[in-house]
Formats: sequence, structure tokens, C-alpha cells
Amino acid sequence: MKTAKPGIKLMNKGRLTGWWFIAIAVIMIAAFYFYPMIQALLLSFKTGKGANLHFTGLDNYKRLFSDRTFLAAVKNTFIYLIIQVPVMIVLAMFISVLLNDSKLKFKGFFRTAIFLPCVTSLVAYSIVFKYLFGADGLVNMLLTKLHLISAPIQWITDPFWAKVTIIIAITWRWTGYNMIFYLSALQNIDNSIYEAARIDGASAVRQFFSITVPLLKPIILFTSITSTIGTLQLFDEIVNITKGGPGNATMSISQYIYNLSFKYSPDFGYAATVSYSIVIMIVILSIVQFKAAGDK
Amino acid sequence: MKKVLVLLLASFVLLTACSSKSDNGTSTSEGTNDTASKGTKALTAWAWDANFNVKALNMAKDAYAAQNPDVKIDVQENAQADIVQKLNTGLNSGTTKGLPNIVLIEDYRAQSFLQAYPDAFYDLSSVINASDFADYKIGPTSLDGKQYGVPFDSGVAGLYVRKDLLEQSGYKVEDLQDVNWDKIIEIGKAVKAKTGKALLTQDPNDLGLIRMMIQSAGSWYTKEDGSTPNLKDNAILKQALETYKKLMEADIVKVTSDWSQFVGAFNSGDVATVPTGNWITASVKAEASQSGQWAVVPFPTLPNTPSSVHASNLGGSSWYVLNIDGKEAAADFLKQTFGSNADLYQNLNKEIGAIGTLKAAASGEAYSAADEFFGGQKITADFAKWTEQIPRVNYGMHTYEIEDLLAVEVQNYLNGKALDKVLSDAQSQAETQIH
Repeated sequence: MKTAKPGIKLMNKGRLTGWWFIAIAVIMIAAFYFYPMIQALLLSFKTGKGANLHFTGLDNYKRLFSDRTFLAAVKNTFIYLIIQVPVMIVLAMFISVLLNDSKLKFKGFFRTAIFLPCVTSLVAYSIVFKYLFGADGLVNMLLTKLHLISAPIQWITDPFWAKVTIIIAITWRWTGYNMIFYLSALQNIDNSIYEAARIDGASAVRQFFSITVPLLKPIILFTSITSTIGTLQLFDEIVNITKGGPGNATMSISQYIYNLSFKYSPDFGYAATVSYSIVIMIVILSIVQFKAAGDK
Repeated sequence: MKKVLVLLLASFVLLTACSSKSDNGTSTSEGTNDTASKGTKALTAWAWDANFNVKALNMAKDAYAAQNPDVKIDVQENAQADIVQKLNTGLNSGTTKGLPNIVLIEDYRAQSFLQAYPDAFYDLSSVINASDFADYKIGPTSLDGKQYGVPFDSGVAGLYVRKDLLEQSGYKVEDLQDVNWDKIIEIGKAVKAKTGKALLTQDPNDLGLIRMMIQSAGSWYTKEDGSTPNLKDNAILKQALETYKKLMEADIVKVTSDWSQFVGAFNSGDVATVPTGNWITASVKAEASQSGQWAVVPFPTLPNTPSSVHASNLGGSSWYVLNIDGKEAAADFLKQTFGSNADLYQNLNKEIGAIGTLKAAASGEAYSAADEFFGGQKITADFAKWTEQIPRVNYGMHTYEIEDLLAVEVQNYLNGKALDKVLSDAQSQAETQIH
């Protein structure tokens, strides 16, 4: 027997080595990722303050639907999502097409300049934005000096303008990040396709909509899913620029989770329920986006 | 290939060296708790604000070290939000490793800790005497008749006023003594008309002013039990909101959105008054060019509210001992310093302007000193006097929860929603939120 199947034994040994290599990663991920996820799911069925927790079944999930702060946070998050994500994706695509032009000079400089916001710390840029958009901040000063407005806009303390400020801030921060994906995808599109289109007499606009957009479809899907997830998890900007206010006009779901755990008397069970509501929303939205994008 | 191996090995050795080093680090810090019962005792204490609470703690440490050289106290500065987070996660996980022996907790939050984590804090009833402290501090620092906290600073509120701006508008400081908010609003309109300056600042997210107004009349967001929301049919809160709306609609308020804008507004002379806790004194005095132009008058009362007095509170915090090894030593430290040492409070007042709530401290020399910045007014003595008059309320465990709900409804109210509807909506939301 020993000499009969040396090949198989070697193969088994090779497999075993493979298992050993991924074992560390698997154990780590299971211990620090899946285990807490399951614990959080269990926690979401419990209620109580601090350490005095007890099971309540689905009560926490029922509470979500009558919790007006939660509903307001969901509404705000969807407003950001519906307005900000499309604007940012169109903008990123537009800029990347401009930057991909082979005749453009200082390409490296422009690319770096537009990507640069992405490397700034979330907290640092939020604080700068807060001061730029303050009642007597630079933006208001500029607009008044240009005679575009007569009284300063309450960018931070008015419910409507506060949302606008948040949308401007996250668009500034993330457009460059998405642009990089489009740029790399654009460079993979064969130039001969455009050449053929030009010979056929297609205009630049026609080329963009008939060649660029269809070929970028997987990237559009990818960026819209990651941006959607990012928006659902929005936290730093809200906390640092508006603190969720005025009232709860800009509060995001993540900030509400933080408040439930740490700002109010600690209710970790319900906070976990709210976290799982985000998970459910992300799953649903991702499925919708996959379906809408077609390709399977 | 060999080179790669050597490199790998070298980095491995380096890594293990690093990690063993950090292991040593944690074991010594754990040692602080273990050695507490032996010869030298080591305690850790957490507080926020380097110029105020942390400094106070360090001064107390020095005072204690003179008599008890065998106790070592490690004072660590953490932001308040970090302390709240670390305490919550630490106590919730059931492991007390990494938690301090002594911790500072804000009065508004104290009950939520005491009730959410029973047995996590050490009962100090036999260590300090609750009646030695201002009465209003006992509500938040005790639970079920047991005293858990050593009351620290007073958040007694006053109205800081700019004498020069008032005089330009035809008023004197005397005109603001013992008045109600209607009168203040009237003065604010005159100030705005004559000088163009706002009366005061408000941050729409922070209802501190409303909190001060209702406490001045002995009311709170919750009933006596600290957990039943008390918003609908709360005549005092209703009066406070009406006054707040009158103030906001009089066009005499400068809207701010954070602390630095708040401080900036009075430092740059944009507002004529600052209604807030006495801990703002240091920030007011930071603008030396305004020396002599300020005065402090008693907190205005709520109009049409007989129970409202000229004293209220904003903020303030107290010291707590965690129920872990070293608790006796920690309790003794607090007993001999913040719990009874009136001289320490004199120094605290001189060095950092802190006003304690230990009654015995009020008769000390520092408390009766005149302050030239405030035109020779004995502000500490005034604040100490008002501290004793602050109505005692039970902050309960839901102050910030209810305030966030109320802040939304207050915005609706300012936009025209009927007040009764505002309060009943806030009430029903609070009832679904609080279990």
C-alpha cells in the first residue's frame, strides 16, 4: 500500500499544507468577524439598560417602526442616498472622461488634485467644512461679497441647508475616490472602438453614451453599491459638522446607533437591532441594484 | 532564497520582541490593581478637561500625598465621551481590567450608570457625609438611599452681563438684579436697538437654557422617579418653552453651532449677556481687554411661575469609586480630599476658579475675595450663595434622550406648531423610547 499510491498521499499532503495556510485567516475571521456578528444578532433580541439584559423576542424590531427618531434617520439617509450618490457618480464619470483625454496636459497634477480629498482624515475635513460653512464662515462671506445673497445662509443650523452642507461635504470627499475606478476602467477600453466610431462619424456625445457608458456598466454598478453602503454607514461627517441637528434634521442611522449606546442610557440590545436594520437595507438595495443593472 | 529566509526570521524575531515588550507594559498596568492590597497602593483616576477637572485631581493628589506617601495615584486625562464609552463597554463586558479606581461622571449621566450597572460602583455612604454637600447634588449622586458619588463642582448658573453695553442701552446692572426673563427680553430689544449687539447666543441642538429655566422652578424632563417622562401638562416646561420662543422671535439671539463659536461670541463682544454655569468664568476672563466690563447677576426667574427661584444649575459632575480592588484606598483618598478638605477647595478656587459643593468650603477666604475682572464683585461668594438655593431635582437616566426628542419638537414649535401638540407629541415619543 505504501508504495502503491505515493501520488495521492503527496496530493493530500499538499492539500493539508494549503489548509494550514488559510487556517489562520479562517480562524481569525471566524473569531473576530462571524462570532461577533452572531452575538450581535442575539443581542438584537434583548433589551435592558447596560448589563441587565433579557430576551424580548421581536419587540425591538417592532419598536423600530414606531420609533420616530429612527424613521427620521432612515429618511435622512435615503435623502442623502437619492441625491448624493447619483450626483457623485455622474460627476466622477464626467471628470474621469475629461482626464482620460490623451491631449490633456498636466494630467498627473489634475488626477492628484481631484483624488487628494480622499486621503484627508474624515474628522479633519469635516471640521474644516464646519468652519467654511459657519454663519460667518468663508462661504457666506464669499456669497455676500459677490452679492448673490443679502443675508448669510444658515448652512449648519437650518434643517434644509444643513442637509445641503452634508451632501456637498461627502461629494467633495468621495468623488475623487470613485473617479479612480472609472479612470482605470476607461484605460481598459480599447482605443480602436473609439477610432471606428470616429470613422463612422459618431459625435463625442454619441461616443460617450453608446460606447463609454455601456462598457463602464460593471464599474457603475460597483461604485453605486459601495457608495450606497458608505452612505448608509455615514457617521463622521454628521457628528462633526452638525451633530445630527438641528433637531434630527441631519441625523444618520449610524449616529443614532452611537447615541443609543453611548449618549443615552446604554441600550445595547436596541442599538444592535438598529445595526441589523442597516444590514437588511444594504442587502435589499444591493439586490435591487444588481437586478436593475441587468447583466447577471 | 537564503537571504529571504534570514530576513523573514529577523522580522519574526523583531515582531516577537515588540509584542513581548507590550506584554510587559500591560502586565505592569494590571499590577496597579493587584498590588493595591500590599505595601504601596497604586490607584488610577480618570477625568476630562486638563485645565479644570484633571488639574483639580492633581491638586487633590498632591494634598493627599503629603500625608499618605505610600499611595500612588495615576491621573489620566480622557475626553468625557471616551470615559463614557470606556465605562460602558468595560462594565458591560463584565471585565473590570483597564477600568480606573476613581472616575468623574457628569451629573446628568450619573443615574444611567448607577442603575444600568448595579454593584459596579462602591457605596460611599459610610465614607462621606451627604449632608456636608449642597442639597441639589445628592439627587444625581445617590441611588436607593445609598451615596455613591462624592459631589464635586457646582454648575450653579448666573447671568453674565456686559455693563458697558447695558449702559449704552440705558440700563444699569441693578436693573437686572432679581428680574424675570420677560424683563431680560425687553432689555435685549433695547440693547439690539441701541448697540446692534445680540442679547445672547443659542445653539438649536442644545437646550441648556430650557434645562436651567425648568430647574430654577424645581421641574425636570422626568417626574420625581426619574423615569416617567414629564413633558405633557408640565406647566413649568410649557412656560419655559413659551419664553424660549419669545426670546428666539425677538431677533436678539445670535445662533451658534458649537462651543468655540459660543465662546467666540462673548469674547469678541458680540453679545451683551451669557446665561450659563459658573464654569464659564475662566473663558470670560480669557479676554483680558474686557476686564471691568463684566458683572454677574442672579439667574432670571421664569415669568408667571411662583416656584421659580433666582438659582439654577447647568452641568457639574461628581467623583465615583469603582467596585474593584483598591476601592477602600480610593474611597479614603476621596474622603480626605474632595469629601472634606475645605482648604483644598480654597486652592481649587484660586487656581482654577472651581466652585465646590462642600458647604464648609463656602466660608473660606478665597470664596470671599473680590474679582477685579468683574469690577470688584465677589462672584465666588455670590455663586456659593446661589448654589445653596438651587432646587433639587432628579435628573433620572434619560436627560439626553428626552432632550434630543424635545429639540426636534422645539424646532417644530418655532415653526408654528401648537405648543400643546408639541408637548404631547414629545411625551408620546418619550414613552415609546423609554422602557
